Amino acid sequence: MPRGQKSKLRAREKRRQARGETQALKDAEATAAAAGESPSTACPLSGGRPAAATPSYPQGTSSSTSADAALSCTDDSDEGARSQDEGSPRSSNGAEVSYRDPLNKKVVLLVHFLLQKYQKREPVRKADMLKLVIKKYKYHFNEILKRASEHMELAFGIDLKEVDPIRHCYALVSKLDLTVDGTMHEEENIPKTGILMIVLGVIFMKGNCAPEEQVWEVLNMMGVYADRKHFIYGEPRKVITQDLVQLKYLEYRQVANSDPPRYEFLWGPRAHAETSKMRVLEFLAKVHDTVPSAFPSWYEEALKDEEERARARATARARTAAMASARSRALTSSFSHPK
Amino acid sequence: MASSVLKIVFSPSHPQGGTGRAGVMTDVHRRFLQLLMTHGVLEEWDVRHLQKHCYRVHDRTATMEALEDFINNINSVLESLYIEIKKGATEDDGRPVYALVNLATTSISKMASDFAENELDLFRKALELIIDSETGFASSTNILNLVDQLKGKKMRKKEAEQVLQKFVQNKWLIEKEGEFTLHSRAILEMEQYIRETYPDAVKICNICHSLLIQGQSCETCGIRMHLPCTAKYFQSSPEPRCPHCNDYWPHEIPEVFDPEKEREAGTSRASKRSLRSRQH
Repeated sequence: MPRGQKSKLRAREKRRQARGETQALKDAEATAAAAGESPSTACPLSGGRPAAATPSYPQGTSSSTSADAALSCTDDSDEGARSQDEGSPRSSNGAEVSYRDPLNKKVVLLVHFLLQKYQKREPVRKADMLKLVIKKYKYHFNEILKRASEHMELAFGIDLKEVDPIRHCYALVSKLDLTVDGTMHEEENIPKTGILMIVLGVIFMKGNCAPEEQVWEVLNMMGVYADRKHFIYGEPRKVITQDLVQLKYLEYRQVANSDPPRYEFLWGPRAHAETSKMRVLEFLAKVHDTVPSAFPSWYEEALKDEEERARARATARARTAAMASARSRALTSSFSHPK
Repeated sequence: MASSVLKIVFSPSHPQGGTGRAGVMTDVHRRFLQLLMTHGVLEEWDVRHLQKHCYRVHDRTATMEALEDFINNINSVLESLYIEIKKGATEDDGRPVYALVNLATTSISKMASDFAENELDLFRKALELIIDSETGFASSTNILNLVDQLKGKKMRKKEAEQVLQKFVQNKWLIEKEGEFTLHSRAILEMEQYIRETYPDAVKICNICHSLLIQGQSCETCGIRMHLPCTAKYFQSSPEPRCPHCNDYWPHEIPEVFDPEKEREAGTSRASKRSLRSRQH
């Protein structure tokens, strides 16, 4: 039966009152995303609402509420809220997890933030991340960012790359598009990839730092000259001294105290992130029609590098697994998806 | 030389992003997520095509997982991030839809970064009117009359009309004959937020127990059901009766959504929509 006007108005008033208590936090979360203000008061959810007040919805909303409470409650006032959360049975599971690892909640929120930025194709500034997401955990920024980027990479195949280390500006790029399989790819990337691998190889073989003359020596042998336009690589000098440097694949710097100035090449941060010594060695081996182990000293160095990377990946995975199983333990009993 | 250059795989190998539970993520799953995210919400038919496309791009040799397992796999990995691929259905004709939703939504946060403060408030006002209404629809006039009460910068009615259109384009609202209701995307993304924010006014379907915006209701005892839920529940009943009070069910029972039939007949969505009954 349709409700009379009075009953509707009464319900609306009740709703407004209830919302008033929680509105501070919810509005804060929403407007923080939009306008960058941080909530200053203690968590109203644990302070204002008695544990039993929430009506129990069928099929699992109550559990989502507890997850929700866990995520929103321990925002900027963990001290006061913590003891109350532990006492309340409804939200104890969720609160337990965030109590043990308060950074985790910030990691999750940062992932949500980064996903939105990715969809809008906007660069991400450290200042924004601190103001809108990290807030009082700013001293843990690096740790939170690292964990969030791992999640972005493992779950979504999206890379967070620092493109401006001075202004701390990052870009979000889909890793999947960088795979050179010929089916989906911007045309300009292919030639740069080829010449880049060669230059990375030279750098590696010269002990991870190669004088510019030696790089050109090798390139000349392949018919690529500094001052001659190449039908695949375009303007080779511009490509390796400017384009690839801007993209952070290479570092190009003046040799210390060189007069007249001479220059040398090193691997850029992006090259370290996106490829490995072993891959470059494999490439070189293919070029010379042989196998990587045919270059024993470089092969050894590449193997060591692989081991280190594997160890780093395992630590990251273990941590993700630990977080996830903690989460699933907390949520399994009450977490069900309404269908 | 050029051909060997083309075969280089540049990205470092991250074989699995698995967590303690079953989930095993490959680039197939990651691409799927990236593309689903870009669309916001997708119908099941498109989702199946998307899945096929991702396999073709990244792993032509693999056998394609069943869609449900594929999605469960992904969800088990995303669980620790409070994100999941949620399945729902359009309220008027029961088409299955999928969206990537944040589970830790304490507000209309996904919209928050795309809209200004006064625009978000306009959405909240429209949302309230929709939830309070009998039909699940709020008229453009009623929404626009609330323009003076909006937080933030002052908005004129003309502007508000355009903002409402922006909501429609971004799949938060649906417009029909000058009236607005929630898009299935909004229902999927905001169900939790709505149930927590409007616990007294919110309507629930008696069959599936999910949020109900549009549906049919029993004139005797007042319980409500989604149109596709009534279609399934009364499918083979010659004499439909209210599951709660057993009184005759007074409304026309719609047909169960059949994706096969739809594709064969090439039925236009417009004609299907007319089946929707707004009786309460």
